[in-house]
Amino acid sequence: MTTDASGTLRRTALHGAHLALGARMVPFGGFEMPVQYSSILKEHDAVRKRAGLFDLSHMGQFTLTGENVGAWAESLTVNKVANMKPGQARYNIFTNERGGAHDDVIFYRLDENRWLLVVNASNADKMWNVVRAAPADGVEMANLHGERALIAIQGPRSVEWLQPYVEAELAPLKYYACAETRVKGVRDAVVIARTGYTGEDGFELFMPSGVATGIWDLLLAENRERGLEPCGLGARDVLRLEAGMPLYGHEMTEEITPLQAGMAWAIKFDKPAFTGKDALVAQRDAGAYPRIVGLTMDGRVPARAGYPVFANGARTGEIRSGSFGPTVGVNVATALVDPAAAADGTVLEVEVRGARHAARVVPLPFYKRPKG
Amino acid sequence: MANGVPAGLLYSKEHEWVKLDGDVATVGITDYAQSSLGDIVYVELPRAGATLTQFGSIGVIESVKAVSDIFTPVGGEVSEVNGGLEADPAAVNRDPYGEGWFYKVKLNDVSQTNELLTPEQYEHLIAGA
Repeated sequence: MTTDASGTLRRTALHGAHLALGARMVPFGGFEMPVQYSSILKEHDAVRKRAGLFDLSHMGQFTLTGENVGAWAESLTVNKVANMKPGQARYNIFTNERGGAHDDVIFYRLDENRWLLVVNASNADKMWNVVRAAPADGVEMANLHGERALIAIQGPRSVEWLQPYVEAELAPLKYYACAETRVKGVRDAVVIARTGYTGEDGFELFMPSGVATGIWDLLLAENRERGLEPCGLGARDVLRLEAGMPLYGHEMTEEITPLQAGMAWAIKFDKPAFTGKDALVAQRDAGAYPRIVGLTMDGRVPARAGYPVFANGARTGEIRSGSFGPTVGVNVATALVDPAAAADGTVLEVEVRGARHAARVVPLPFYKRPKG
Repeated sequence: MANGVPAGLLYSKEHEWVKLDGDVATVGITDYAQSSLGDIVYVELPRAGATLTQFGSIGVIESVKAVSDIFTPVGGEVSEVNGGLEADPAAVNRDPYGEGWFYKVKLNDVSQTNELLTPEQYEHLIAGA
């Protein structure tokens, strides 16, 4: 990892590998990251049909150790944490006093007293400040951002193409389960989880940065010919959008609450107290809050973040994310709209360069992977 | 022909090519441009009959991630537009000098093409990029 005093971009351990593969690099979350290697559409297609390999080492990784982690985390987040079993991962959201989101995260409980917390790259510094601002007995925290790497393999062939290289039995590993295992030829233990951000089956591997290139090269060596593609952040964003997954800063922010973002399932109101609970209860009870909806455009013009949205000629909200969706074959978007415009089937208009284009509200996700 | 610059065309600094046939110019974007933009998903072009001013912003080309302005390398009246790009924007990536053409313009003043680059000058431009 390199940083320097002038604040130029950091690099992951896989930087050289990306350049060797011909990646186009862009700044993201303070890091130089691959946005694409060949083409976004080709990489997207590889993940949906076969599998893709992603470097996600720019994301923040914290370790949490102690007997009080569960209760401590529950006081700062919307979901339950203490009842997670060793070997379980869970999605959660850290909130502010107004019920807005500091970040959406995943907790991984490795054993009784050892946890891994993964946060968005763009929020790594903020989240380290958030967790450190709430010290507690029985909770030790370490920020491993930059010391640990994260490689994800995502796609229907993930089990088949990863299994030869890891000790853990992958087929029986449940969705959102995690384990510590070893990669063939690598001495250090790695954490593996059946989690991801694409809507496909797949695994995330967490490892010390020093072994990342060895593991990346190992996974690509034989699998590249079989059809495993290195995939960048460009494809990642289209995959997650089609799968209806929120991107922090778009569908959830310090202002847009988890309730507004459609994450009510993750909010456990029966917890006695957590940051922002009162605000979320009030929002839920009042009911009439602007919310995130899925939109498909009727025509070929894509909607993009920031474009205004209209219902019956009156301004009702704005696009939060938008792209052509190759799997579904239409332009898809999320929008934050007034409740009156939020029902499935509602016809709305998106203003694109001064002209209004028809769109309709559809349920999320736009794409669900086939069962089996 | 990766980034190869065809002879017989003129070029703009905004990475468009112009094919002159008397006072009618066909316009498109270069291989360098389509490669930089990535997968094209939508092209918004002027209508036939529209009057364009040389180097004015006259449309957009959208890739998966981004929207880019199209600056017309020539001015005059639009005589024809490539309607095939509506259903097949990927033609711009596949065949930027052929199937991926954008529109034709009847030039209001042929001498304006003096403002454009020769193949050698364009090749020099992208080599330095």
